[in-house]
Amino acid sequence: MLLSIQNLTVRYGTDTVLTVASPIDIEEGDRVGVIGSNGAGKTTLLKSILGLVPYEGVIRTDLRPEQMAVHMQFNEYTDACSVKYVMEAVLGTKIARNKKLRELIDFFEFGDCLRKKYTKLSGGQKQRFTIIMVMMQEAALTFYDEVTSGLDFETRQKLVEKLAEWYRGKRESLVVVSHYYEELDQLADKLLILDQGQVVDYGRKDALFRKYCGRAVIVVNHSEENDSLLGAYKRLSAPAHLIAVACDSQETEKSVTELLRNHDVNYKRSNNDIEILYTNAKAVKGGGFHAK
Amino acid sequence: MQNKSIQKNVSLQMLRFEFRKTIGNPYVHIFGVGMPVLMMIIITRTVMSQVADQAIRAQANTSVFLGIGALIPMATIFMGYGVSNAQEMEKGIPQRMELFGIRPRVSICNRILSEILFMAIAFLIYFTAGYLFVDLRGPKPVGAVLYAVCILALSVILFCLAYAISSLLRKFSLTYCVTMIVYFAMMILGGMMGISFDNMPGPVQAAAKLLPVTYINRDFYTVWNGERYNFAPMLQSYLLLGAVAGILMFFALKRMSRKLH
Repeated sequence: MLLSIQNLTVRYGTDTVLTVASPIDIEEGDRVGVIGSNGAGKTTLLKSILGLVPYEGVIRTDLRPEQMAVHMQFNEYTDACSVKYVMEAVLGTKIARNKKLRELIDFFEFGDCLRKKYTKLSGGQKQRFTIIMVMMQEAALTFYDEVTSGLDFETRQKLVEKLAEWYRGKRESLVVVSHYYEELDQLADKLLILDQGQVVDYGRKDALFRKYCGRAVIVVNHSEENDSLLGAYKRLSAPAHLIAVACDSQETEKSVTELLRNHDVNYKRSNNDIEILYTNAKAVKGGGFHAK
Repeated sequence: MQNKSIQKNVSLQMLRFEFRKTIGNPYVHIFGVGMPVLMMIIITRTVMSQVADQAIRAQANTSVFLGIGALIPMATIFMGYGVSNAQEMEKGIPQRMELFGIRPRVSICNRILSEILFMAIAFLIYFTAGYLFVDLRGPKPVGAVLYAVCILALSVILFCLAYAISSLLRKFSLTYCVTMIVYFAMMILGGMMGISFDNMPGPVQAAAKLLPVTYINRDFYTVWNGERYNFAPMLQSYLLLGAVAGILMFFALKRMSRKLH
């Protein structure tokens, strides 16, 4: 086990901003996605693990703080020299002499930015700059806190694809904080769901999906027609613009999809939809914990 | 895991990096190099116009020259590094570096060396300008060594003071304000702003005696010339300033420390 969190409480002044009552264990090779709305305690959790905020409880690990790599939500560097020198100093190497670093720079298409100062980089370039250095640390446990925040859709998608591609087949454990379900879809195999400073649930993505959504879900856009069309089926909680139908058996699924096709309604079938999973986990908050 | 060179207290890579940061700060060029040279030339020209005797003129010039030299560590290290570190603190850069495994002590050690290196270059320019434009007396070897030791010791103390102030205040504006006030207070009390120590009122003299710059500005010509000098009061002022810097540094490091349970 890489890291274990037990009975954690974080307070800012008199406000309790995060409580982790049941143990959370991160194993070697885990890819944990942390999800929750603003103020859920995601960044606070990371800061606690990294020893950046005081807390009560136990965070047990054999890793030293510097053995954990982290991409924070906001990363700043000196503007007194170009990012090339920052990178070389941080990594204690020369770009020209380090094959792996050159590969990463090429992989993230960062070569043309090396002569620039940090403030002259675009949002995406800034993110890639930190990511390259974080990856070069080859840490056993790496944290990415909202790594794509502030980026446009295309840049965000490209960056996450690059990250997923880089870590595919590697042993490093990741903890990825994100508001974007599709990012967690690509990068995480476990989910830690937080809400208002409390842990809603933690477990493998597929197990959590089964626990809160069943075998599969059919999702359609919300409209009065669709609402009445699917009135006979078991509904799941869903965002206001969607209707989610639980398909606990193949027969139900067949019946729902046939009905939708007959009425020419577009639908999406999923057995791992994180948005629906998150919405339903939050809806039954206070229920069971730790999907197996 | 981590590249081992990152863990070393001093490395050529980090030293180069910190030196680039030092020279990338415009304050140090203006206040640490330009201003002392300019002040030294202007004040010694004023002395020359007021003193007719050649020997006394050289003595007065050298005394002014040595005193104003103390401005270099005050400007480059105390003010320059102080505001630069506060800027970094405000942006969370030291914490970001620590998250990359670069411990504060590594940054501090390399920064001290880079500041000393820059100060050595600043002094080289200062001495070159002094010997080119001003009639100065050469030192006795022991006088030159003692001047270097005193400036170096003052620099280390000022570095600790600047680090502590900027780390505790964590804001560029506040640090700039505090370091500026202390910088000018040291200049005034040290007798560099037109009022010599002897012309100061009693209570002000008492405060001035607590500062090493007072002794460098007032008495160092005696040391420079290899004459006998009682170092005890100067040493006490160094110890006092060093103790203040040490205490503040302790609180600054304590505030910044990370804990992993």
